Amino acid sequence: MENTKIIVGLGSCGIAAGAKKVYDKFLSIQESGNLSFDLQKTSCIGMCYREPLVEVIDSNGSYMYGEIDENKASEIIEEHILKNTPIVDYVVKADTFKTDDNAFIDDQVKITLRNCGYIDPENIDEYEARDGYRAIKKIAGHQVSRLDVIQTIIDSGLRGRGGGGFPTGLKWKFANNNKAQEKYIICNADEGDPGAFMDRSVLEGDPHSVLEGMIIGAYAIEATGGVIYCRAEYPLAIVRLQIAIEQARKKGYLGNNILGIHGFNFDIYIKEGAGAFVCGEETALIASIEGERGMPRKRPPFPAASGLWKQPTNINNVETLANIPWIIINGAAEYAKYGTDRSKGTKVFALVGKIARSGLAEVPMGMSIRDVIFKIGGGIQNNKKFKAVQMGGPSGGCIPEHLLDTIVDYDSVNATGAIMGSGGMVVMDEDTCMINVAKFFLDFTEKESCGKCTFCRIGTKRMLEILTRITEGKGKEGDIEKLEELSYQIKDSSLCGLGQTAPNPVLTTIKYFRHEYEAHIHDKRCPAKVCTSLLTFEIIPDKCTGCTICAVKCPTDAIDGARKEVHFIREEDCIQCGTCFAKCRFDAIKVF
Amino acid sequence: MSDTINVTLDGKITQANSGETILDVAKKNNIEIPTLCHDPRLKPFTSCYVCVVEVQGLRGLQPSCSTKVTEGMNIETNNDKVRKGRKTALDLMLSNHYADCTAPCIQTCPAGVDIQGYISHIDKGQYRDAVALIKETNPLPAICGRICVRPCEVGCRRNQLDEGAPVGIDYLKRFASDWDLESDDKYVPEIQPSTGKKIAIIGAGPGGLSAAFFLQKLGHQADIFEAAPAAGGWLRYGIPEYRLPNDILQKEVDNITEIGANIFYNKKFGDNLKYKDIKNDYDATILTIGSQKGTLIGCEGDDAENVFSGIDFLKDMEVSGKPFDFTGKKVAVVGGGNTAMDCCRTSIRCGSTEVYVIYRRTEKEMPANPIEIHESKIEGVQYKLLTNPIRVNKDEEGKVKSVTCLEMELGEPDASGRRRPVPISGSEFDLEVDYILAAIGQKTIVDFLADINGSTDEGELKINRWGDIEANPDTLQTGINSVFAAGDGVTGPSTVIAAIAQAKTAAYSCNQFLNNHEIVAPKNEFLSKKDNFKLQDSSVFKGQYPVQLREEMPTLDPDNRINFNEVELGYTNEEVAIHEAQRCLECGCVKVFNCDLKDYSTEYGVEQNKYAGEYNEYKVDFRHPFIEIDNNKCILCSRCIRICKEVVGADALGLVNRGFHTYVAPSMADRLQDSTCESCGLCISTCPTGALSENVLFKPGPIKTDKVVTICNYCSVGCEIVLNHKSGFVMKVSGGEGIVNPDGNICKYPKFGFNYLNDNVRITKPLLKVKGGFKEISFKKAYDIITEKITQVKPDDNAFFAGARLTNEEMYLIQKLARAGAKTNNVTSLHYINRGDGYTFNSRSNVPFDQIEGASKIYLLGSEINEDNAVAGFMINNAQFNNNIPVELITIHENSSMERKVDNILKVSSYYHFIKAVNYYLVANNFHNAMYIGDNCEAYEEYRNSVMQENFGELVELSGVPTMDTVVEFAKSYNNEMNAVIVFSEKEISANASYELFNLSMITGKLGKTSNGLIALKDKNNSQGLFDMGICPKLGVGTQPIDDPKLIKLMKKKWKVDELPSTINESQFINLEEGKLKNLFIFGEDPMGTAKNPVRIAGWISVSDFVMVQDSFMTKTAKRADIILPASFPIESGGSFTNTQKVIQEFEPKFNSKVNRLSYQQLIDLLKKLGVKQKINIEDIRMEAMSLLSTAKENKLKFVYTNTDNQHRIFEYGCDSIDKYFEDAFESAFEE
Repeated sequence: MENTKIIVGLGSCGIAAGAKKVYDKFLSIQESGNLSFDLQKTSCIGMCYREPLVEVIDSNGSYMYGEIDENKASEIIEEHILKNTPIVDYVVKADTFKTDDNAFIDDQVKITLRNCGYIDPENIDEYEARDGYRAIKKIAGHQVSRLDVIQTIIDSGLRGRGGGGFPTGLKWKFANNNKAQEKYIICNADEGDPGAFMDRSVLEGDPHSVLEGMIIGAYAIEATGGVIYCRAEYPLAIVRLQIAIEQARKKGYLGNNILGIHGFNFDIYIKEGAGAFVCGEETALIASIEGERGMPRKRPPFPAASGLWKQPTNINNVETLANIPWIIINGAAEYAKYGTDRSKGTKVFALVGKIARSGLAEVPMGMSIRDVIFKIGGGIQNNKKFKAVQMGGPSGGCIPEHLLDTIVDYDSVNATGAIMGSGGMVVMDEDTCMINVAKFFLDFTEKESCGKCTFCRIGTKRMLEILTRITEGKGKEGDIEKLEELSYQIKDSSLCGLGQTAPNPVLTTIKYFRHEYEAHIHDKRCPAKVCTSLLTFEIIPDKCTGCTICAVKCPTDAIDGARKEVHFIREEDCIQCGTCFAKCRFDAIKVF
Repeated sequence: MSDTINVTLDGKITQANSGETILDVAKKNNIEIPTLCHDPRLKPFTSCYVCVVEVQGLRGLQPSCSTKVTEGMNIETNNDKVRKGRKTALDLMLSNHYADCTAPCIQTCPAGVDIQGYISHIDKGQYRDAVALIKETNPLPAICGRICVRPCEVGCRRNQLDEGAPVGIDYLKRFASDWDLESDDKYVPEIQPSTGKKIAIIGAGPGGLSAAFFLQKLGHQADIFEAAPAAGGWLRYGIPEYRLPNDILQKEVDNITEIGANIFYNKKFGDNLKYKDIKNDYDATILTIGSQKGTLIGCEGDDAENVFSGIDFLKDMEVSGKPFDFTGKKVAVVGGGNTAMDCCRTSIRCGSTEVYVIYRRTEKEMPANPIEIHESKIEGVQYKLLTNPIRVNKDEEGKVKSVTCLEMELGEPDASGRRRPVPISGSEFDLEVDYILAAIGQKTIVDFLADINGSTDEGELKINRWGDIEANPDTLQTGINSVFAAGDGVTGPSTVIAAIAQAKTAAYSCNQFLNNHEIVAPKNEFLSKKDNFKLQDSSVFKGQYPVQLREEMPTLDPDNRINFNEVELGYTNEEVAIHEAQRCLECGCVKVFNCDLKDYSTEYGVEQNKYAGEYNEYKVDFRHPFIEIDNNKCILCSRCIRICKEVVGADALGLVNRGFHTYVAPSMADRLQDSTCESCGLCISTCPTGALSENVLFKPGPIKTDKVVTICNYCSVGCEIVLNHKSGFVMKVSGGEGIVNPDGNICKYPKFGFNYLNDNVRITKPLLKVKGGFKEISFKKAYDIITEKITQVKPDDNAFFAGARLTNEEMYLIQKLARAGAKTNNVTSLHYINRGDGYTFNSRSNVPFDQIEGASKIYLLGSEINEDNAVAGFMINNAQFNNNIPVELITIHENSSMERKVDNILKVSSYYHFIKAVNYYLVANNFHNAMYIGDNCEAYEEYRNSVMQENFGELVELSGVPTMDTVVEFAKSYNNEMNAVIVFSEKEISANASYELFNLSMITGKLGKTSNGLIALKDKNNSQGLFDMGICPKLGVGTQPIDDPKLIKLMKKKWKVDELPSTINESQFINLEEGKLKNLFIFGEDPMGTAKNPVRIAGWISVSDFVMVQDSFMTKTAKRADIILPASFPIESGGSFTNTQKVIQEFEPKFNSKVNRLSYQQLIDLLKKLGVKQKINIEDIRMEAMSLLSTAKENKLKFVYTNTDNQHRIFEYGCDSIDKYFEDAFESAFEE
């Protein structure tokens, strides 16, 4: 009992699921003084679908409990701590035995997320205990040259994990080539794709790995200043980064002559972004840091030549940076062992949507999308049929079932019309209307357009209007062609990635689900029965009990019928709002 | 830095410099690429995506404005993909462009008369210009001003306002045209040189007359052949005189023959005029034959006697010259159009007391003008509406006895949209009448077909199924290539204005034919329309504008109408017309004639509705007194935002919101005037659409203006400006591409300070004070008085004062008048009076403006540059923005206007002592640049010795900086700066302080080096000229000592005088203060109006015996004068100004002067009167001044020690009334 550790996962996801209460419960028990155990915090381990997670480590090893509430916490104390009897039913992962959830874990390879869920992110010692800052020490100790560091990264094959996929080492090389008194390295932590949260998880769970990545990068390109551009919607990540920066300064990882490397002066500050999606784009991000409106500009010049304050600037994504220390310690070859020919290492995916096990999964490049979704993610919820997976967020596209064996690597995913993006995988089942999906993503980009370029500002608006009218049953002949035409023009004539990729969800859904568009436009029918304007509601006489609830709730009084008698819907008054369908307790409303 | 590289541009290999954009290279190669978001003054931005091109090997399309060329680049600027991309960009922009290019009145006018434009002219009393504008599209305005059916007024948006009545567009046209017809200087169009081509026009109706007008203008000979004995067609024979008097008609006909058109009467085509002959004699033919034949009712019995077609009835009277006698007769007029009105009202005038109009629908459906119906009722006409004649009943003699009618009711709408009348069965009734006039239609007579088709083998003239001439609807060319047709003969009976419109088209096509060009209709210009977004009904307009009722048209007393006198009398006076003109809501965009967005939309065939969807609707912001913001027209190119940041440095505008709802708004303020806006108007200058425009008090039109280039007469920077005017009324000022401002930047002074040019309260005649008031006198009388006054007293009792806004030539003549005429050296400028010598050489060895960008650091030391010399300020801001040049401000102001724009601020309390302290430190520590001083300067040792007598600590204390270290730090850093430019202005810096600044820049060895040294900014446009032209008691032309014998000799020779004054009263200030001067001659200065202490100036004036003022306006000083000479404006006289950098800029006289004798001519007159000969040509005067300049080399730079500060400003505004005029207007404009 003496060495028993209880670790509560306190990432945003855990806290949202109630982990704070669970932690407080353990804390109050601990403070009552009757029991002695170590109570620690960690962050998200990726099994978001099982949050709150509590890990108990005793002499027998580790037991990860899932979906713990205060009552279950008491049970854990009662049974596991006091009686030394782990509650097997609640265990999702254990050292000593396998659970169903092992399917989620076993095929993952954790490099980026190596510390997430294993350390207290607010404690630099725990990071150091797991090889933390050993990479920069290795560089300092062995006097590894800047070019050698860059060469290692080039050799590792690491490509930008923010979505662009540009080889990181090469980017560093360009920044290194541009000589200047001042240079900057920026960590892009402006994660904004709907359904993507791996960067947040890393920042919350392992902030030091990002700092160390930046420090190594700064050394490699001779940067004099570092900025983490983090969206203000990630308050916990910002707090933990601040703590981590303070700790790193105290330990001399930041400051002047870092680790005795003469002239290596480097510090990092955090710039909170106001949540504009476009600020994830390099030049807009730089404008935002400079206090300007976050709007992209034409490249070249690339930031490597003229970036922040017109100085050479290197920008890397959170996930990219978190990989750097690992590569330095383990070597390029070890990293390049994973993955495919042109996409090396691992990639973290955020599994969301209608997937059975949602959460973060880090897999080696080359795994098939099918395996990610079905093996790791456990397939579709409620035994529904898989329809498509949206990859790459609003810039990405929908991959249909027949392409499920596509492997995750930059080029293969691109070939489908989707993109790897930052790694969001939104899984959709048979109940999803693909036009509605396209509309959802386009609605996002249309609202997030900075308003600069004509095509992005007005073009996406017009596309959204067309999609909206299609889902409302007002689609016109030629709308698909108009969408396609606008899509290509917007892609051709937009300054930044936001506009250039905004039409992708529309194009891929047209490509793979054209029949759904046609059904909406020609037959005024939504095959997935999602677009309410296109639905007809009818009461099934056999099932109707005459409970009157539908008639009472109907906003247009379109349902007639006496109590305890079969009701019927007057079609002319029905506005297809779906209220009756939702309210009927007897499945007596038929939709077609 | 830039290497030459090869690129392929539209298949041609060309050379370019690295660093250039594709747009740059295309421009150099004369390839036009459209762009909306690019302005060469600004850094590339790339937002409109109209400038896209295709670059081989690059994905998508590339914005040429920001894509730099690279070696081997292969660029296509105009292929299908590129054009499609541009069109889509424009389609999208226009789908969110809730704006009207032109007003609905213009759009509804068949002839497209620029109504908004001519109303703008009328607003300014420019009736001749109004007529000229109307006649571009309609040569018969006095006629149309009376009888037009006025579709424009139906379209007028005033209808949607509370008062519900359109602007009196047609009456305004009539007013202007009548004015012009009566005028001595009536409008005559410009006629192009004769082409030698001849056109035969058949018919002298409105179409034929118009066609002749347009063809004559083009230099062709138009001969009209008319069947009748007089011109006008139905204008004469169909429209009764009480509506259109024959003399008005004849005057407009004469206007057309006066420009060379011939009319041959009694020539009936196909009859006594054969096509064969026409074909032999003429190069082309235009058939404007009209619809000549009236139709009868078409019912049983309409062959009865006394049943006429209405127009035959009207024509008969005109031909015979005798009215019918309808006394005691009952008349029925059948029909509801204007001919029916003419018939019924004429019948009344023929003595009938019982006149019926029988019409089968209701009054609402009647095509006649409502005003006609109204007047007819007043005159006693009775209406039988919803009534249809079905039978004419004859008496035994076959004359009409009665007409049987059916009552009707309205059924479903028919094809025309009007409800179809349906008979009510059994409603038959008889109406007893003596005459029936059928006004229900006309037919075209084409009895010449055989003649024409039989005489040509070039094609065939065909008739359409309605019996009218068949012609291409777009070009009006008929089946015979050389024959065109227009008017009723093509369309069937229609309106006069439609005939005029067609005549213009036919003339246009005919001109193409005569020039052997392909015959095509004019390209449809793109017009953005608010109606494409939503119906412009009253909900849009109600409450948006103040109510102003329509002016009533005075008419003949209804009891006095049994005659053919004109019923409508025309607006009583100008005031009424101008008041009515002011009701115009100016629906059309002021940018319509030079809108890039519109031009490209036309070029690329934009479809505004293609991507119709949600659109943004913004309230137009008129709150800023000079700048109007209409976000509805904004395309978010951000040029306004960028120019305000990059050039002006004010940063007063920004973008708000994101995506589709992004818009431009003042930064950190609701109203623009509450932001950091400096009201320079550069935002307007860069706006490619009408989103930003001048907020003016007059009706801006828009009208096409004439442009004159001149030099700004506000500050000393000397910018070239363009006055956009019409007949001397300045509508707008824009930047010229001058020596100083090659990229066309100008500031608020010229941009919004042009109203004085339009001011009607100018002094135009010499005025003599009589009993406290002023009386107009002749120039001769004025000269007599002035010269008498001059010669009555001792020469030095006279003193002459010249203002700093005058031209060099005027200044030169003033000092010549003093010296050669009045024999006194008492000549100076109140502008500089009592301010010391230090300003005299301020412009010497200055850093040229175009070297500012080469500075390593800029010091604004005593200069509110963006306020006082803004365009120079823009150069500094722009250099700061583009080249990161640090700018330091040294100021005594608590709140300097420059604080926001500089990198560093040093507050001092005395410029003089601060500079002195710096000099002391540098000199004391031997930090002086000995080599430079040795080579270029003299008197350094003397200076050093004097300075060393002073107390450093005291100087530091008086300069108001915190510690000695502040001075030391400044001195060191300034001294060490590679290229340091100190900018100072005479408004801020005393004369002795400027001496010390010269000392400073000599000590440090900077003066006169490239991008290094000083820039002195003078106050007024010709402050420098005062020195150069000898406006100084002790200095002559070119700042030569006036007592220099060589100069005196030269002056005597050039001026052909024997004697010149020998005394020099150095200080006119002391003379004035001590009341020693008897006669004051003040040219272009307003000491009373601009003095800090007017009582003091009043004292000067009251002790003198005689004061003469020459000025344009009744200034406070002028009011005190005994005699006033009217001054011309520089733009009226021409001349030259010398800017603060000693650049002499000549400008031409461009406006007719409102003053009979120009200012300088008056000086010549006075000289002559005093016995001094003077060449009269302005260039000769300038050359004469130049001939007096010394040819000796300039002296070495000289150190001048000063021991006290001497800031003695007595006057504000450079002692200038125009400056004050602007400042007062500016200030009051911003008052709440």
